[in-house]
Amino acid sequence: MIQFKNTHIGYTVPALFTIDNIVLEKNSVYILVGENGSGKSTFLRTIIKHEKILQGDILLNGKSTRGISDNSISKHVAFVSTTFPQVDYLRVTEFIGMGRTPHTNALGRFSENDHRIVKEALEKLNISKLAHKFTSELSDGERQLCAIAKAIAQETNIIILDEPTAFLDYSNKIKVLNVLKQIAIEMNKCIILSSHDIDLSINANCPFLVLNKTTTKMEFLPPPIEKEKLILLAF
Amino acid sequence: MHTSKKHRITLIGLILSLPLVIYVHLISGQIDVSFNDYIEALFSFDSDNTNHFIAREIRIPRMFMALFAGAGLSVAGLLMQTLFNNPLAGPYVLGINSGSSLFVAFTFMTGIPLLTSDIGIVSAALIGAFIFGLIILSFSYFVRSHISLLLIGLMLGSFTSALVYIMQTASNSHELKAFTMWAMGSLQNVDIVQIPFICSLFLLGIITAFFIIKPLNVLVIGEKDAKLLGINYRLVRIIIIIITALLTGLITAYCGPIAFVGLAVPNLVKIIFKSQNHLILLISSILIGGNFVLICDIFIQLLENNMNIPINAITSLIGAPFIVFIVLKKLA
Repeated sequence: MIQFKNTHIGYTVPALFTIDNIVLEKNSVYILVGENGSGKSTFLRTIIKHEKILQGDILLNGKSTRGISDNSISKHVAFVSTTFPQVDYLRVTEFIGMGRTPHTNALGRFSENDHRIVKEALEKLNISKLAHKFTSELSDGERQLCAIAKAIAQETNIIILDEPTAFLDYSNKIKVLNVLKQIAIEMNKCIILSSHDIDLSINANCPFLVLNKTTTKMEFLPPPIEKEKLILLAF
Repeated sequence: MHTSKKHRITLIGLILSLPLVIYVHLISGQIDVSFNDYIEALFSFDSDNTNHFIAREIRIPRMFMALFAGAGLSVAGLLMQTLFNNPLAGPYVLGINSGSSLFVAFTFMTGIPLLTSDIGIVSAALIGAFIFGLIILSFSYFVRSHISLLLIGLMLGSFTSALVYIMQTASNSHELKAFTMWAMGSLQNVDIVQIPFICSLFLLGIITAFFIIKPLNVLVIGEKDAKLLGINYRLVRIIIIIITALLTGLITAYCGPIAFVGLAVPNLVKIIFKSQNHLILLISSILIGGNFVLICDIFIQLLENNMNIPINAITSLIGAPFIVFIVLKKLA
């Protein structure tokens, strides 16, 4: 689903790190681990074309991101930012409905289908009861679920989340990870998330993408992950 | 849904109230002009009839200008608030008006007849508003804090007024008088023959705004997240600046600076409708904005025999405390 071919990631040469050849498949959650400043966010932003690829290529479903326009990347990849927007009077359904933006016409008119997809996204995440609440009234955990529902409504094969568990309490961290695993499998999605919650991520039994500190290369580690080996590699 | 039903009822109420307010505005001048006089003035105008003359040359243009000013400035304010993600943004606080004032002052001071004609002043006001819009836009890149951007807007305003004062001292009495008259601000500077021209520019700005409802609705969650959803931010922001400059420049050119309408009305609309749906926000900003300035002007008309209050004074008297209320509410 996503293929990295000798990809160099960074703002300027020399690259922050390189990826020799890694292929990410659907039905799976990949956890991205690395030191602060190692280039995790840069890596995620490069996939959505917010940063340029220094060298090499990234293929989405066999198609180079260089050939996808900045505006239509949103049909391939949904991105969940670390911070949730602080807006007055924005209802949960309206927020999740924004996921339909790449699919609606120039006037943004919602079809029956668009309404159904938003409703299903709410149901998928078990947050239908929040539908008519204002986003400003939600707890941190509920906000993260809404942000994920918006990504689902975007109907992309790939979902990227930048530290989705950063501001959550313990039980919500586990909840979000489980929800993401469930979505990846049930909806055939390829999900990448960055995280600093090493122990939780290891328990999630997902493959890891580790930024190797010494070689500055990204390494693919399938589960089960040994914590000590991981820490030695990344930190 | 309950909310959309409530919205519809409120909107219908607003739509119905507008003709009523317009009617009260037309009949609340010091000289009694009846409804019949208006009908006759429009369809069988008799230039010897004083009432016909007042209706056609004074009251009707004044009513239109109040409507355009209220609706136009409110829409401009709404767009700025969404673009900058800042509920306290507006054409006046961000100094867009002062851009118009500066350029209009320039044209008056040149004393060249072509420039001081109608078209000359309107063009100057539009260009000034657009340039100052771009200045604020470029500042918004370096200034992340909402309050700082507002301060820069206010400084831009102060700086420009200083320049205008200096120009006034350097100009002759004829130019000075023309400019001072303009800068006082009034809804009464327009003849009925100018209304179609003003109306078409006004409608151009308003209708264009309806075509960018989709990006406006998404911009609410911020520039970054809107881009992630495929919104062409560069294009949208320039359209917003053009619409804002068009509406603000147009109104500033004909009515002089009018404060707080663009800031206060969209906030009032959001409190009433509790929504971020820009279709609702746009329609209700137009209706509430139009009603608001019409009602302000009704008070001016009622007091006209005793004193001559500029429209800017009334909107500030009501708008400024309301904004303080909004700020306090946000802090609470």
